[in-house]
Amino acid sequence: MNLQKNMDLLEKLTILSDAAKYDVACTSSGVDRKGTGRGMGNSIAPGVCHSFSADGRCISLLKILLTNECIFNCAYCLNNCASQVKRAAFTPDEICTLTMEFYRRNYIEGLFLSSGIMISPSYTMDLIYQTLWKLRQVHHFNGYIHVKSIPGADPVLLEKTGFLADRMSINLELPTADSLRQLAPCKSRSTILRPMRQIQNRITDNKQELMVYRETPRFVPAGQSTQMIIGATPENDFQIMSVAENLYQKFQLKRVFYSAFVNVNGNSNLPALPGGPPLLREHRLYQADWLLRYYHFHVSELLSEDRPDFNIFLDPKCDWALRHLEFFPVEINQASYQTLLRVPGIGYKSAERIVKARKRNRLTFEDLKKIGVVLKRALYFITCSGKMMYNTKLEENYICENLMRDKTQIPRDIREGGYQQLSFFDKEMRSDFQLTDTQILPPGQRVSSI
Amino acid sequence: MYIFLCEDNIDSIFTGIYDAWASRYGHANISLTTCPPDNYTLFSEYITVETDYEKSEKVARTLRARLGEETYTEICQAACALEENHGRKKAMDKADAIYHTIVLALALKDGSKVLNYLGEPYVNRVFHLSRKAGNEAHHLLGFLRFQELENGLLFARIHPKNQVLPFLGEHFSDRLPEENFMIYDASHNQAALHPKGKGFFLTDTQDLNQEMLGRFSPEELEYQKLWCTFFENIAIEARINPKLQNQNILKRFQQDVIEFTRGS
Ligand code: SF4
Repeated sequence: MNLQKNMDLLEKLTILSDAAKYDVACTSSGVDRKGTGRGMGNSIAPGVCHSFSADGRCISLLKILLTNECIFNCAYCLNNCASQVKRAAFTPDEICTLTMEFYRRNYIEGLFLSSGIMISPSYTMDLIYQTLWKLRQVHHFNGYIHVKSIPGADPVLLEKTGFLADRMSINLELPTADSLRQLAPCKSRSTILRPMRQIQNRITDNKQELMVYRETPRFVPAGQSTQMIIGATPENDFQIMSVAENLYQKFQLKRVFYSAFVNVNGNSNLPALPGGPPLLREHRLYQADWLLRYYHFHVSELLSEDRPDFNIFLDPKCDWALRHLEFFPVEINQASYQTLLRVPGIGYKSAERIVKARKRNRLTFEDLKKIGVVLKRALYFITCSGKMMYNTKLEENYICENLMRDKTQIPRDIREGGYQQLSFFDKEMRSDFQLTDTQILPPGQRVSSI
Repeated sequence: MYIFLCEDNIDSIFTGIYDAWASRYGHANISLTTCPPDNYTLFSEYITVETDYEKSEKVARTLRARLGEETYTEICQAACALEENHGRKKAMDKADAIYHTIVLALALKDGSKVLNYLGEPYVNRVFHLSRKAGNEAHHLLGFLRFQELENGLLFARIHPKNQVLPFLGEHFSDRLPEENFMIYDASHNQAALHPKGKGFFLTDTQDLNQEMLGRFSPEELEYQKLWCTFFENIAIEARINPKLQNQNILKRFQQDVIEFTRGS
């Protein structure tokens, strides 16, 4: 162990924030909690982004590790016991000070505390518990707290911690047990799923207790989340999304996060990915995840054994629609909410607004635009009072060709991110669809790297 | 046509609504505006509204009672929104849209549903204005930065387009009940002040002591440095993407956010 003594706070923060950056969290939690009139802190349901880091990701929590010391040897992780990195550990008091001082200056919405495993899983979990206890009981911190449960820690510690945290998560890490065995030999499906189940059961019990005694302390009110690494192992999108669907249905998770693999330690057993992390794939998985959670889709509708990966050129909803033209066109002034949800270009909020607004007025295309429907996508699939917007054909190739012209099919930040993988996509896109440069690249930009 | 000329603030607009209603000219013959017209038309009568807090308060109370807290908040947000005119086409007057939305709401069996009827042009305008102001307020809940001054006061400066102080004041009073804080809206020369343990209030900022604002507490710069260190370290090198960053936190917000102004 080369844990250094007498390190100052700045140095620790440097090491322990750097080591925490691959974890994904989000405060959009659905927890509304008013302030108590003392101490500090409240929590609002939609979450708040406080800043955006140079990679464009939202910063809302002080995301740190308690320590980057670790006795485990996960292959994909820079903190594993074999790597030669500078190690550090915060004391619970140091974490409290940082959280309180950052929070009152409005840098953050709360704390996201994770950790490497120091001495033993239970030893580490206990330090996490002590930190949360101090924050809540000594500093009267009433803001948002997300903690990672340490696989293999004593269930009693997990339970105690759950009464102090808003959200708990335990990372699934890899989509299949096989991959996990290979890359994270100290972890196993059962040391991950058992605590996940424990927390789920406790949340359910707690909800019932709350119905009886309103003053019962709340257990993990923002629910559980987890994270999978994408692209380090050979699983296809169908496998990954099926795992996610299972976690939502059987473990009642609030969120599954997907994290494009970055080969941080140059491990030669892992993919090298010279084109950068698989960001477009990650993006498609998030889009599909959204379809599961808000649009009543099932994975089996989106993917299958024969089509196990998402179309990289079209978002999953457009892709689905093109394969189900028998479902369209949909009449805006009549279709049910569920039907509207299936139309590309109509988000769940717009669908809700349509259903409410049409009670009083028959809606026109102009109205839809104002309501927030993305007409350039929706127009092929809808009618208003029996009329299409333009004289378009309900034909797969025709619509596909037109949708592909819409550059937002691949989000701007990925398209323009300057990743090599995109020039690679461009090439494939071209051969598959015989597109010309101007159809792929924004005007004024030349193709150089192909 | 009877045209009520209001000032561009919520109390004046609500007073205008009160006066317009009380005038009994008939809703169809009434319009409200916050922009004095370039050309006065011959056939309209212009009435200048004198802001009256009691009238404004009465309107607020009625709206709360009849439309519910949520719809009331949306209408307030719309009243605080900046009226932006895109190109040559003049958008519908904010005050007028609010007035006629309220007329419709009070005619409905359930007034709280009024904002559902987005097929009505007035309602649609209120919905969009409210969303614009609401979005900016929501952004600032996160982007606003307090700095601790020598006297312990937490001070934040913002340059919002819309008049978002009331929403921010409420949020931070709930969040930081035991702090003395001040949020200074430099675009509208107003500030929200919160004395420890009490409610917040809005005030003009003509005689704001600028010199005091530059004197920080001894720890302030330490924490700024810690925060900026965190900010730099948390980005993943392999994903660096300044375009996405600037798309997510617009330049106009960055000017007041220490991690963007401090430089490393
Ligand atoms: S348990 Fe594995 S993933 Fe977690 S810090 Fe240790 S080596 Fe890294």
